[in-house]
Amino acid sequence: MGVVLTKEPVDEGELVVDGASVRFYDSRESRGSRNPIVLIHGTTGSTAVHFGFLFPMLATRQRVVSIDLGQPTGELTIDSFRRQVEAVIDRVLPDESITLLGYSLGAVVAATVAAARPEKIENLILVAGWAKTDAQQVLRNNVWNALYASGDKDALAQFTVFCAFGHPFVGARTMLELEPAIAAVNVTEFGVAQMRVNRDIDIVDRLGAITANTLVIGCQFDQMVPNRHSLDLFGAIENARYTEIPSGHAVVFERPAELHKHVDNFAADPRRYPAGIRIPAVKP
Amino acid sequence: MTNHTPLLIIGTGFAGIGLATKLKRRGYDDFIMIERADDVGGTWRDNRYPGAACDVPSHLYSYSFALKSDWSRVFAPAPEIWEYIRQCARDEGLMPHIHFNTTLLEASWDEPSALWRVVTSNGEYTADVVVTAMGHLADEKYPAIEGIESFTGEKFHSARWDHDAQLDGKRIAVVGSGASAVQIIPEMAKIAGQLVVFQRSAPYVIPRPDRAYTEAEKRRFARDPESMEALRSEMFWGMENNYAQRRAIPRSIHEAYKVANGHREAQVSDPEILAKVTPDYEIGCKRVLISDVYYPALQAPNVHIEAAALEKVDGKTLISTAGNVYEVDAVIFATGFEAIEPPFAPLIHGRGGQSLSEYWSQGMQALDSTTVTGFPNLFIMNGPNTGLGHNSVIFVIESQIDYIDGALQYMSERGATVLEARPEAEAEYVDAVSDRAAGTVWLNGGCKNWYVDYRTNRLTVTWPDFAYAFRDSNGEFVPEHYLTA
Repeated sequence: MGVVLTKEPVDEGELVVDGASVRFYDSRESRGSRNPIVLIHGTTGSTAVHFGFLFPMLATRQRVVSIDLGQPTGELTIDSFRRQVEAVIDRVLPDESITLLGYSLGAVVAATVAAARPEKIENLILVAGWAKTDAQQVLRNNVWNALYASGDKDALAQFTVFCAFGHPFVGARTMLELEPAIAAVNVTEFGVAQMRVNRDIDIVDRLGAITANTLVIGCQFDQMVPNRHSLDLFGAIENARYTEIPSGHAVVFERPAELHKHVDNFAADPRRYPAGIRIPAVKP
Repeated sequence: MTNHTPLLIIGTGFAGIGLATKLKRRGYDDFIMIERADDVGGTWRDNRYPGAACDVPSHLYSYSFALKSDWSRVFAPAPEIWEYIRQCARDEGLMPHIHFNTTLLEASWDEPSALWRVVTSNGEYTADVVVTAMGHLADEKYPAIEGIESFTGEKFHSARWDHDAQLDGKRIAVVGSGASAVQIIPEMAKIAGQLVVFQRSAPYVIPRPDRAYTEAEKRRFARDPESMEALRSEMFWGMENNYAQRRAIPRSIHEAYKVANGHREAQVSDPEILAKVTPDYEIGCKRVLISDVYYPALQAPNVHIEAAALEKVDGKTLISTAGNVYEVDAVIFATGFEAIEPPFAPLIHGRGGQSLSEYWSQGMQALDSTTVTGFPNLFIMNGPNTGLGHNSVIFVIESQIDYIDGALQYMSERGATVLEARPEAEAEYVDAVSDRAAGTVWLNGGCKNWYVDYRTNRLTVTWPDFAYAFRDSNGEFVPEHYLTA
């Protein structure tokens, strides 16, 4: 308990997978004909942190299930997370086709689930995801680890904010205004383990097995997972369309309503745009 | 003599001028616009009270098809917005289309001839198609107050400001504490001998991140229009985030309270005043106001806030519902506008002579927020469920412009002379809007607001969703929703 996503409380549950405690949240009510949507958060995140906007807003339109990934007793790999997601889906939504959304590391997990369970994952949304870690990501990971090892928590928090938010977002704010974001950075041992997983992601060979209607969302000013990775996914997944949001990696904080719009539109009608199309941004 | 026109647009505010611009730019220019005043500009022509400004940043509160690089401030003052729309009307060659000083008196659908007969203060018109572009906030609303006619001093509504009135050093009362009032009160506090504010319920007020643009910034916008578009997009999506507050999403509500309560507590030191200006309903149920000068003004030594409504007037004596008595020389009504029952509704008669207000006796409704069964060839801008509490209404207006333009093109391509909303399509739309409205703060927030119809408790003024969803739903004409002949 303690996680307040919506005004009316949602169902909560827990599974143990490979010794990991995996929590999930379920808004239950379907409200129409859409598939249920399942959300997977990113590195060092959780449902409450990454989907405090998306979960309740989507729940006004459709059934939403979200997962808090957990740390297994053995070695943590991308497939540990894949098994956690599959276990929740099989428990909570055994009979339904689903729309699966992953953000950041969650997008990597979502892609592996979609590749393993093409019959189950009808629609797939990959937000700021990637398929193969590159040198730019390793450099950031190295600096992150060095700061973590130094014990300088403030430097680590500032570096995280520096990397997470887009330069227009950060540049338009004062240091005072950025303080809450810096103060919110909290690194756990599980977070360190996730950073280790991030270092050598390579799911390139699995992408061919994805058949879901896929929406790839790249973040234009992303310095953690530069949007060339999203364009790579757009190229690698056969049934993919692409759109871009002018934000940093932290799109769930910078532009949550715009992210919601793309997810909402796609969940309502995944084939509205054919595969291979760049979906245009709204011109307000 | 009767003027005939294929298209009559009533009103020359943002809606009318925007629609005419779109039509003119695609080469359609056989239309007449009528305007009751002697100039364009709608609400920005009317609302010229001291301190008048917009609550949406100017780079967003302007047409996407007529960006302006040299806005003086983030929130430009009202006269600059008025000048912008006048400039647009001139630049687009619309002035020759406009018949000024021409007030709509009655419009009736003539069934046998399949056209509208429009009676105005300045002669009659017939039109194949009529668009009402008369605004949400066009006709001022006065509360019914006992004895108000006995008041012997200056009295006027904020939207009909009497610029000749001598207010310096006088005892002034401002009735209301909504969007206009929080702009007027700081200005009146500067000049009044004594100022009393009658506040029926306290608003939530948040900081106004206003500043002047530098000459370098203006030139950058002019030289690099893409950066204007990026800023506009950032402003739009930033405001769009706030819709989550209207759905009472815990994360957003928490942030909204933090900002509003923090602003109030930082700006109000007197515990007695703090108690009076602390709202007693959920944030967002009424419009959240933005001001950095409102709370300081309330604490000026010549200002008194009466946390009760004005109940009675007797000569120059004002008595509140709490029984407190004030002697004043001038009363300013900042009491808002008629939005639940638009003033044009009794004037427009559709099939069988039925008026819009009769059809709307249980609250306004329209197919796709734009057209009404029984009222063929009539398009309503800023009508039912088009208001936004959280974002720029220009976005809604531009969506309606695209819809109406699509309908006009469809009619001309098909040679259709009559286009009418299907009743089942209208009913389905109204149900869908009700579904969207369920669970919003306007219906559940524990306040009285001007968005909800008092007769039926239906939300009829505001669009109960993100702004983007208005465009998704109503930004494109849907022929299947219509009967044609």
